[in-house]
Formats: sequence, C-alpha cells, structure tokens
Amino acid sequence: MTGTATASRTSAPQLDERDRARMERAFRLPRARVGMSAVAAVVLFVWSANGAQFDFLKLGEGAANMGEFLGRMFPPDFSKIGLILSLLLETLQMAVVGTVIGAVLSLVVAFGAASNIAPVWLYYPCRWTMNVIRALPDLVIALMFVSAVGLGPFAGILAMTVGSIGSIGKVFAEAMEAVDRGPVTAMESVGASKRQIIQYAIVPQALPMLTSYTLLLFEGNIRGATILGLVGAGGIGLELTTAMNRYEYGHLSAMVLCIIVLVTIIDQLSALIRRKIT
Amino acid sequence: MTAPAIAPAHRGGLPFATAAAQSPASSSVQASTAAAGPALARVRDLRVRYSADEPLVLDGVDLDLFRGETVALLGSSGSGKSTLMKALTGFAPITDGTAQVAGFDVAGLPQRRMRALRVQVGQVFQQFNLVGRLSVLTNVLTGSLHRAGAANLLGTFRSADRARALDLLDRVGIAHKAGAEARSLSGGQQQRVAIARALMQDPQLILADEPVASLDPRMSHTVLELLRSIAREEQIPVLVSLHVLPLALEHADRIIGLRHGQVVVSGDAADLDADALAPVYDTEEEAE
Repeated sequence: MTGTATASRTSAPQLDERDRARMERAFRLPRARVGMSAVAAVVLFVWSANGAQFDFLKLGEGAANMGEFLGRMFPPDFSKIGLILSLLLETLQMAVVGTVIGAVLSLVVAFGAASNIAPVWLYYPCRWTMNVIRALPDLVIALMFVSAVGLGPFAGILAMTVGSIGSIGKVFAEAMEAVDRGPVTAMESVGASKRQIIQYAIVPQALPMLTSYTLLLFEGNIRGATILGLVGAGGIGLELTTAMNRYEYGHLSAMVLCIIVLVTIIDQLSALIRRKIT
Repeated sequence: MTAPAIAPAHRGGLPFATAAAQSPASSSVQASTAAAGPALARVRDLRVRYSADEPLVLDGVDLDLFRGETVALLGSSGSGKSTLMKALTGFAPITDGTAQVAGFDVAGLPQRRMRALRVQVGQVFQQFNLVGRLSVLTNVLTGSLHRAGAANLLGTFRSADRARALDLLDRVGIAHKAGAEARSLSGGQQQRVAIARALMQDPQLILADEPVASLDPRMSHTVLELLRSIAREEQIPVLVSLHVLPLALEHADRIIGLRHGQVVVSGDAADLDADALAPVYDTEEEAE
C-alpha cells in the first residue's frame, strides 16, 4: 500500500520548483498585477479626492464653526413635543406603507430580474427598469409625485415605493440568484413546475436575506421620509427645514433626538427579527 | 415495451463480466429479474458529450434495470456515473444511443415532457438537497408536487398526501422528526428524508447518486440497506452509484463498473470480488 501510494505521488504532476520556493517564503512580494492594481486604486482615489475638493485641512479649520453650530442646538427644546411625535408617527406610517408596498413590488420585479428564474426576454427589461429607477434621485421622484398627487404623505409613500424597486429589487434578485443549487435540482427532479421550484426551493432559501433587506429598506425609508418632507412629501422633514430656516435650533435638536431614538428602537427590533429568522 | 431480460451488457468484451453475465447458471439474480418482467430502464449504446470540443463522458453504455433489484454503479471520479444518472432523467444531453426509462424515450423527449419523466424517477443525491428551512414533512411532501393541484399555491397539500408522507417518514425511521427543520437533522437522517421524498413520487425506479459519500460507515450501511429493502418491497429497481467496493458487494444484487465512460465490468454481486472489479479503477490504490 505504501509503495503504491508513493509511486502514485511521484507519478503525479509536480509543482514547479520556482512556484514551490515562492510559496514556501514567509513574506512574499505581491505579484506584478496585484501591485499595479493597488497603485491604480490609489491613483483613482487621489484623482477623485482632488476632483471632489476633499480637504482635511479645511475640515480642521471649520471645526470651530461646526462646534458653534452644534452648541446652538443645546439645550433641546421639547415644548412642541406633541407636534414632533405626531410628525414622527406620520413618518413611521409612511415608512411602513412605503416599505410593504415597495417590498412586494420589488419581489415581483426581482423574480423577473433573477437569472436563475426569469427568461432572457424578461430578465433584461427588469434589470434596465431597476437601473433607471436607481439612477433617479429620491427627491426628483418625490417632486414628480408631489406634482401628480399634491403635497402630503401620499406623495412620499409613492416616492418610497418606486425608489424601493430600484434599490431593494436588485438585492432581492441577487439573493435569489445566490441560493444553493441543490434543492433547486431536487425540485426539478421531482417534476415540480417553475412556480413550485420558486415556491419550495428558491424563496425558502432566500427568505432570511429577503427579510433582512426588507428591514434594511424600512430603516432606510424612516430616514428617507425625513428627507422627502423637504419637498412637501409629508413626514417630519418639512418641520426640520422650517426649524432650520427660523433658527429654532432647540426645536431642531429635539426633533433630531426623537429621530435618533426612533431609529435606534427600530434598529434593535430589526436585529431581534434578524436573529429569529436566521 | 417488450424488453427481453438480457444480460447486464457491455460492448467491450470484458474478462469477468462476459462469463458472469452470459452464463445463466451463474446468475440467480438475473433469473429472478427476468421473472420480474421487462426492464424499467433500458439503455443501449449511450453516448454523452457535453460540448462538441470535449471528449465523450459516456461511450457506448448498455444497461438494463429490472424490478426489485439493487444495482451498484462503481467507478472512480470522472468515470461517468453521475452523467449516466443525469442522462437517464434528461439532465445530461444524449449525444447518441437510446435510453428508455419508465416508458419514456429520453433521447427523443421534448423538454416540455421531461417533467412527466422525472415524476416517474425518484432521485437521491449525495448532498441530500433538502430545503433546510422547511420542515421534514414539507420536504417529503415536495415529492408529491406533481399532483398537488392549484391549492398548493398557498402551500397546502392534500390530507391523503400528508398521511402518506408521515407513513413514509415512519418507514425510514424518522417520523418523530416530521415537524423539525430539515437542517437540524444529521446527515444520515437527512438522507432518509431524501429517500422518503423520492418514494413520495411513487416512482417506477430510484436513482441514488453517491448517497452515502457524505455519511459515516455505520450510517452508510443503514441507508444502503434501506434502499435495498425498498427495491425488494416496492418491486422497483434502485440504481446506486458508489465509490466503496465492499459496500457495493454487500448491498447490491448486481454491479456495473464504469471506467472512462465505458462499462468494464458487469455481473452479479455474488459472483464478483475485488480482483474481478480491479479493471474499474485506474490503480490498485483507488480500489481500496
């Protein structure tokens, strides 16, 4: 047995001596293409930082002004706490409705954009649709719906819903593409239809990811709802802008603190749900 | 289909196989299978090539599977065992030859009719291929998806199918795990669930592609014994690919050895031993 094994080893293709010597070295210089890639990445970063006027020195010089601005926000003024809570509630409701409708529509589009599910004639249009939506700034989508249905949270919900398809639809599709192929093969083997394969092999495997991304979308929509208010699409955003314009920094900081509390609670709940489903 | 009970076939004129397979006196299993009726799977001169610029993966394979027998497919990695199983269910392209499985001519079968073929063939895989997050019971029930009806859109299965699935779980010895998530089971338990899923199809034959490669020796014996009992009790053929020679000799009625896509040994397990099966492996080391 030993002799056979030895003979088998010696007759196997051998590792090149230079490769072996290189692999044995404790410290290895990176290969030329790795080094060139690193240099190219650094050049790209420096070029981008210059173009974007990224300047640490300027940040240092402006630190005092930033401190002064933050100082004006304290102490927070909770005298309008009733208004703040009602606007936060509206923001939360917008995010809930926008997330639910957005997630459902995103899932539908994702089925069409997953290469292991959709035929080619459906795959590319779905991917292009998501790319176009993703390229549109949220504020532009919100303005579009404000002009269509008027000021208020409904426009914000519509903006969130459409925006979700672009962002979360893509990751939904990729979550479904990344499932283990084994159960899919098993379903094909028992003669399952396409719908049954999706229902019993793909969705159950992708479900933890789909849920996790939906929770992420919800958290994003809470923050997004505060921005959409800037263009009159409901939520607490409009009140934030008004407070800034009126130099009501105490009121502003009270709103920011309430938003932080809400986002923290939602984050903790999301973490709890994620732990349960994975 | 009037397939004669022909001897386990090969075209290469092989040393032991010829004597074992063609001598009626030497093959009691052959006699019993002949009495069991026509072949459930009949493969002739099967050639498979995945693409035009690649060599043949299967090169002129002949095979018959009869009711009630367990046939072990032996061969080293790359010998064509998995490809043969895939070809029988339309998962590998048939370049030339014929494969009649459960009344279907696989080579000429349109893609839209493949589902009807696959319903008739229970398959068991090396990695079990269960959906880990679904319950054991649901995994078994997926074997009845072809007859589940429109209500299944809501995830429901008929009461009769649920009762049958529970009976099958009882049969493979894990009914007490019916409500557990499949991923919480050991490898041996998962493979038994996979076997129950295959049985749920009410298949005409079962193909098991290296079903014990991921299991410990004790569980390997348990699973192979289960497959053999199913073959005998259900009177369906079970084709099981294996790497380990002693397992094949112990648990199969018949052994077919593949090497480089060709049948190099074929005969009754009772008539074969390690020396007779040596041509299956490239080296003596592999056979051990």
